[in-house]
Amino acid sequence: MTDWNQMSDAEFRKEVRRFFETEYPAELRNLSHRPKFAEIEHWHKKLHAKGWVAPAWPAEYGGMGLNAAKLLIFYEEQQRWGIVRGRDMGVQMVGPLIIKYGTQAQKDYWLPRILSCETIWCQGYSEPGAGSDLANLRTRAALEGDEFVINGQKIWTTMAHDSTHIFMLVRTDPNAPKKQQGISFLLARMDQPGITVRTIKTLAGEEEFCEVFLDNARTPRENLVGEMNKGWTMAKALLSFERIFIGSPNLAQNALIQLEGFARGRGAFEDPVFRDRFAQAALDVEDHAALYTRFADQLKRGETLGSDVSMLKIWVTETFQRITELMVEAAGPDGGTLGPLQVGNVGMDVLSSFYKARPTTIYGGANEIQRNILAKAVLELPD
Amino acid sequence: MTSTDMTSQNQDELRLFRESVRTLFDRAGGVGRARKLRGAPQGWDAGLMRELAEAGAFGAAIPEKQGGLGMGLVAAGVVAEEAGRVLAPEPIVAMAGLTIGLLYRLCPAHAALSAALEGNSVLAPAWQERGPRGVAQTRACRYTDGKLDGRKAWVVGSRGASGYLVVAQGGAGPVLALVQKGAANLSIEERPQADGSVMAELAFNGTPAERLAEGAAVETALSEAVSDATALAAAELVGLSERAFEITLDYIKTREQFDKPIGAFQVLQHRAVDQRIMQEVAAAGIREALARMDQTNDPRQRARQASRAKARACVAARKITREAIQLHGAVGYTDEFDIGLYLNRALVLTAWLGDDVYHRRLWLEAREREEAA
Repeated sequence: MTDWNQMSDAEFRKEVRRFFETEYPAELRNLSHRPKFAEIEHWHKKLHAKGWVAPAWPAEYGGMGLNAAKLLIFYEEQQRWGIVRGRDMGVQMVGPLIIKYGTQAQKDYWLPRILSCETIWCQGYSEPGAGSDLANLRTRAALEGDEFVINGQKIWTTMAHDSTHIFMLVRTDPNAPKKQQGISFLLARMDQPGITVRTIKTLAGEEEFCEVFLDNARTPRENLVGEMNKGWTMAKALLSFERIFIGSPNLAQNALIQLEGFARGRGAFEDPVFRDRFAQAALDVEDHAALYTRFADQLKRGETLGSDVSMLKIWVTETFQRITELMVEAAGPDGGTLGPLQVGNVGMDVLSSFYKARPTTIYGGANEIQRNILAKAVLELPD
Repeated sequence: MTSTDMTSQNQDELRLFRESVRTLFDRAGGVGRARKLRGAPQGWDAGLMRELAEAGAFGAAIPEKQGGLGMGLVAAGVVAEEAGRVLAPEPIVAMAGLTIGLLYRLCPAHAALSAALEGNSVLAPAWQERGPRGVAQTRACRYTDGKLDGRKAWVVGSRGASGYLVVAQGGAGPVLALVQKGAANLSIEERPQADGSVMAELAFNGTPAERLAEGAAVETALSEAVSDATALAAAELVGLSERAFEITLDYIKTREQFDKPIGAFQVLQHRAVDQRIMQEVAAAGIREALARMDQTNDPRQRARQASRAKARACVAARKITREAIQLHGAVGYTDEFDIGLYLNRALVLTAWLGDDVYHRRLWLEAREREEAA
């Protein structure tokens, strides 16, 4: 088995880039929608055969065992080549959870099935009354014999209609003194009479979010991960790496390239007002990347990141939005037109970029929540 | 040794250098000096200039064989940041970036260079001219046979300088000339600045001058020195806004209204967070720009990085110092509170060597030229 971490960063990057550039299907580059599994199955099979489905997992569980530095390179290359994130909830969330808190039997059963995508996962966290205030969740799970019986509702469940399993946070002790207590982590299969899925159409006209209704849904007792009533702490521990990943410059960098191509084609660079706003956006991206590098270097030195890493997410998502807004402006009277707009020989879907940028300031902890966290944890401002 | 080791070794050196410079400024009286020296006849502390020089502050970016520390612009940036934190009235960036930048590139053997590096004399750089609509694009000031005729504007560090380093037009291209402070036929008009300093306008009328260098090399050296000074002014602004934010953050933690610290109100918390993010992005961007300038000899790429740095620093300092006044409330509008000094200094440093709009324009033009090439 290859120990990737022994390679130099440059060698490793070259190897990853070569594989992506030669093996990744051209028609899947820079997808603007989130695909169903069937659409990307052939790519997943290649990744699986290569052993590259789970770059962050330890090698003993079938992952690549990459350290933080190599992992960042892997993701950077993935984004650079416009590679689809795939149906990776199992790899990103469930696997690490089971590896850290699961029993041997859970590891033996679930991990290979996650890697092969025999199980495809969706995340049941948010509820109608528990968004930013996630700990307010009300979905109940009660033990009846050897089974949990689950009642409640999940929402914003990405791709639930194309998943075989759900991992969710549920309330197992409604009488706990604090709402963060009494929450547990459960796995359940989706194809059962107690679960109904309804898709939610987004502003962009796509159906990737779902509502999941749980009406006496059932799951065996052995599908509890970690200790009963300790789910909240575990869920928080999972987010540490995601916090830098979600603040990476890539989305904004790609949008800037698109904006520049579009605006040149449309002659917007002749307008001094546009020029200044473009330069502002471009420098916002460039200087953000410098700050990102500083945090990434911290990770590479083996240091843990503090709460201040949330600054990256706030800045990059708001910059991303501003860039897509500039695209709409540069489109002039075509700014409300759906579908690709003709620029030279290529079509560019301006509104699709605009829509794609909207939820980024909402998901992964709304930017206002991030500001609350920074105010308390970094600036140490009082209550 | 791997590149990571090199970097961390450099980081350690820079940290020590920063500590020694900060200690010098603090011992001299910190930001209190900025208040005390406003409008003073000398304008700055000559003793501190010598102490800074001893620590290598003016020659941090100059090669060792020319009497500098050879630590690159990143180290000069550290000095500028620290000067910015205490609003040091000394013309540190004008000296390190322009005066010394011109001397070491054009006449390294001249005694003026060692005097400047040792902090024994300040030569105020005089290179810009006033045109009908701001900075003139052409050079009207003439050097002929040891004499200067014409005018120069926006001269920083004139008070307390022993002379001027003038860029003029000669018979065979541009000339770098040295004019003594007390020279005949030199008139100096002072324009008071928001921060209590002055910028001078010089008028020469057959003023005796010593020619230090002549020809195309002067133009090249000038544009390189302007790039350096621009990037260092950006670093000074970064230090300034860093400290302005610290003062403001302390203030909103302690000032109470409605029976609690005003920093407990969410609307102020979010504004404070946005300032902090702006500050971190600015510091990261400007330090990266300085490092990239150290890594290349291509004058165009260096100029582009300098513009990137100044554009960002002006935006950040403007936002942070103005928000700082608002978050201080009425006392922020008084002369008594230090926070206003930060706003005033930011006004001067933003205008000097070009503001963000100007530098975004240069940056974009440079980027387009690079991509076309």
